[in-house]
Amino acid sequence: MARDPKHDILFQPIKIGPKTLRNRFYQVPHCIGAGSDKPGFQAAHRSIKAEGGWAGINTEYCSIHPESDDTHRLSARIWDEGDVRNLRAMTDHIHKFDALAGVELWYGGSHAPCMESRSTPRGPSQYASEFETLTYCKEMDFDDIAMVQQYYVDAALRSRDAGFDIIYVYGAHSYLPLQFLSPYYNKRKDKYGGSLENRARFWLETLEKVRHAVGKECAIATRFAVDTLYGDAGIEIERDGMKFIEMADPLVDLWDVDVGDIAEWGEDAGPARFYQQGHQVPWTRFVKQVSKKPVLGVGRFTDPEKMTEIVTKGIADIIGAARPSISDPWLPKKIEEGRYDDIRVCIGCNVCISRWEIGGPPMICTQNATAGEEYRRGWHPEKFPKHGSDDSVLVVGAGPSGAECARVLLERGYAVHLYDTAAKIGGHLNSVVTLPGLGEWGYHRDYRELQINKLVKKNKASQVALGQKPLTAESALTYGAEKIVIATGSSWNTDGTNCLTHDPIPGANAALPDQLTPEQVLGGKKIIGKRVVILNADTYFMAPSLAEKLQLAGHEVTLVSGVHLANYMHFTLEYPNLMRRMHELKIKEIHNAFASRVEIGRLEVYDIWGDGSKRSYRGPGVLPREANKSHRWVEFDSLILVTGRHSHNGLYTELKSRSVEWTKNGVKDVYLIGDAEAPRLIADATFSGHRLAREIEEKSAQFPLPYKRETAVWGTAHMPGGRFEIEYKT
Amino acid sequence: MKILVAVKQVAALDEDFKIRADGRDIDADYLIRDLNEWDDFSLEEAMRIKEAANTPGDIEVVAVSVGPASVDESLRKCLAKGADRALRVWDDAIEYSDPIAIARVLAAVTMREAPDMLFAGVQSSDHSFASTGIATAAFLNWPHAAVVNMLNYTPGAKTAVLRRELEGGLLQELELQCPAVLTIQLGINTPRYASLRSIKQAAAKPIEMLSLADLHLVANDVGESGSSSRVRRMYLPEKGRAQLIEGDVATKARRLAEIIKEFRGQT
Ligand SMILES: Cc1cc2nc3c(=O)[nH]c(=O)nc-3n(C[C@H](O)[C@H](O)[C@H](O)COP(=O)(O)O)c2cc1C
Ligand code: SF4
Repeated sequence: MARDPKHDILFQPIKIGPKTLRNRFYQVPHCIGAGSDKPGFQAAHRSIKAEGGWAGINTEYCSIHPESDDTHRLSARIWDEGDVRNLRAMTDHIHKFDALAGVELWYGGSHAPCMESRSTPRGPSQYASEFETLTYCKEMDFDDIAMVQQYYVDAALRSRDAGFDIIYVYGAHSYLPLQFLSPYYNKRKDKYGGSLENRARFWLETLEKVRHAVGKECAIATRFAVDTLYGDAGIEIERDGMKFIEMADPLVDLWDVDVGDIAEWGEDAGPARFYQQGHQVPWTRFVKQVSKKPVLGVGRFTDPEKMTEIVTKGIADIIGAARPSISDPWLPKKIEEGRYDDIRVCIGCNVCISRWEIGGPPMICTQNATAGEEYRRGWHPEKFPKHGSDDSVLVVGAGPSGAECARVLLERGYAVHLYDTAAKIGGHLNSVVTLPGLGEWGYHRDYRELQINKLVKKNKASQVALGQKPLTAESALTYGAEKIVIATGSSWNTDGTNCLTHDPIPGANAALPDQLTPEQVLGGKKIIGKRVVILNADTYFMAPSLAEKLQLAGHEVTLVSGVHLANYMHFTLEYPNLMRRMHELKIKEIHNAFASRVEIGRLEVYDIWGDGSKRSYRGPGVLPREANKSHRWVEFDSLILVTGRHSHNGLYTELKSRSVEWTKNGVKDVYLIGDAEAPRLIADATFSGHRLAREIEEKSAQFPLPYKRETAVWGTAHMPGGRFEIEYKT
Repeated sequence: MKILVAVKQVAALDEDFKIRADGRDIDADYLIRDLNEWDDFSLEEAMRIKEAANTPGDIEVVAVSVGPASVDESLRKCLAKGADRALRVWDDAIEYSDPIAIARVLAAVTMREAPDMLFAGVQSSDHSFASTGIATAAFLNWPHAAVVNMLNYTPGAKTAVLRRELEGGLLQELELQCPAVLTIQLGINTPRYASLRSIKQAAAKPIEMLSLADLHLVANDVGESGSSSRVRRMYLPEKGRAQLIEGDVATKARRLAEIIKEFRGQT
């Protein structure tokens, strides 16, 4: 299908300084867990986007000096020639596809805890970071300022040598240039503090020096949080924001703007739970009023209509995207070719971000199982190896894992029957999307549903059988498939079994009229009373989501949580606004408390830390601490058990126990994937289905093939000149 | 006893398509073919009647289709779902037949097979004439009922009781003499899926071929000469100012709100 001509504007080239972007699609800097130490990962993840049509592609934040060391989190680094060599792999691969490569030069100040380098970060004044609360910086004197500015210049020269076309001075997310600009950090009384002119001085001088060093060959960009969202305690767009843009405009070739800070950077990378596409436009739209340079803005742009509107209305010239480019590295190409419904729309879950927040595991994506696997597993997001056998495959369960497995098998040309008792593809997601703010998560299902229906039409031996009777082991065996994939999901425990005691809770029983599992709440068939207690031992979204849903529906909700409520949502950046929401709705929480038993209408609650702090041996059968005496009763009309999950693996277990019958029925192997193997994140369930579909012809495909590891290895031939001796300076 | 089920392989448009050079149809390269959706229901209805009988083995379900070799794929689907036999009628002269000419062929097949009932779909999803089944009844001079959404019939019985969908949500209950021709509506049952095993078995089953001569028909009975209508042209209308909003409900609602705002000049 040809693309709609009204989207043509997105394909017009645009000049940025000495360089030209070939269209308006631009991957803004974002972390992936590669940095400079995993050059293969870095080169493959970025160049797949160049192939997919993005005109500009950046590194993640890239440290300019050991003094800006973000360990435990993982940044890129351009400290020395070794880093230049490794990052060269990325720029070379990007250039093959006619795209520009950018590097985001970063100095963190007190936000960088320097856990590896053990250096001391410097800043405009001395303060403890609100993000890394134990890290203080040293206040810079004029020598320090000149020195740090030279770090930027040296890093810019190395960046040019590494082949980068766009060089950033990074001042968004409250990093160093913004720390000088914002009165929230800058308390100086000299020429670098006080008035806006003084506070802007560090940033302007740095831009001037970098421009002088590399500005003829490279485009100079700056990333600026035009509003830090603190009111007049920080930067406000219509005050210092627009004025600073006017002041710096002659020194930059490209403005990359966003909002927010680092401690709550979910205001920038807004989760779908709270923010929709285009949520930054109310701030971004001021920038072009004062700048004569190309401007790019972000805001989870996935829809070509919205993108076109942004450009035609003059809100921005270029569409910046981090998450939409992760979820669909081929987004521009699909728009270019008019393949609109092949776009894998980012669901805004921020699971990609969670890995950076956790501190460095490779990035994963809920929608795109190949994200982060491009190099190490050789997975291309849009191209698949042809089927390795003529085996037909029965996939039982059309949830995230089963549907992804079926989709990839179909892409590979296998004959696939996807079977489910539900009338719709999607599994448990179909009810999860009814929770407050999670509607957009349904794109995960929609993408697979649409692709599978398309593929099945072309692959006549394949079929999607929905609304079926539960499949028995007998009918699975005699179904006629050579391979059977069990993706039957999981459900919440009905007896209170949990991660703290690893046992049921006496009296907990969701078969009773006044106790419910989350599925029963979402199913809507059981009556829920006025006073609701949610007993929680899960650290993700289910308990707070149910609390919000029920409080909104007029119930009085109390959460009793034995684990840090919503802890994983710190990592997905949903936590701050979730807490505000709970506060607004006046949802009560009894924290650090769990339940020892349940009776009709009441729950016995105890404090997790209510037992004695002194430990001593007291003989067998006696606890080594003073007994917990904090037990008391909490009353409820309805109790919801969010205590833990268990796999639905009965069909698998029975098939496994009947393995002697496999051969006579023509069955070659049976696999277990997704939550049915072990309950997990939707991203990981999706991955497990994708992984099996890629490797199904392997001998024991239940277990993954080894992947390429990028590790520094002592004494290997590919590290010439390296000496690997222990050298003490005694 | 026997139920004959007339099925059609329909064409659906691929994402991209072109009109054929003569301007009277879509270029065949751009079509994706599949069994007509209505026929899934009429076949299922026949299968249910067979399976509900005291001795299902005595009841034969036969699928028949008029079309070239590519139609075998759809007949195999019927076999995989349980049809006992499949027949295909073809002769190059049949090309360009309208529903009346096809009905003439189907009536001849019905005479030859002598079933107790003939089922067809209410209509086909590609051309939507909704006339093949009823025209067949006319050639046969059999009792008939269109748009049947409930059926009570025991093979061998003299009459069948059925329910029809009328305009305005009205339903009509009817008792009909058998043998008869019924056109079956979507939703009358839940069609089954074929397992991989039955698909594999169906691939090995024969499909009986019938020629015009086998049916005592001549070339003039079919094709353009045997038809009472002729397609003049097929085309896409000029695009008006209307636009189709696509996507899920949330996307549609969002887009609608945006359009209203745009009209009011609020953005
Ligand atoms: C996984 C991830 C890592 C990110 N890392 C960085 C970074 O290193 N530097 C930066 O300036 N922004 C970073 N961001 C923020 C994005 O550049 C962008 O401003 C934000 O995600 C909003 O854009 P989006 O809505 O298109 O995702 C990151 C975003 C994501 C999703
Ligand atoms: S992990 Fe979630 S938020 Fe991140 S890119 Fe993928 S779908 Fe979007």
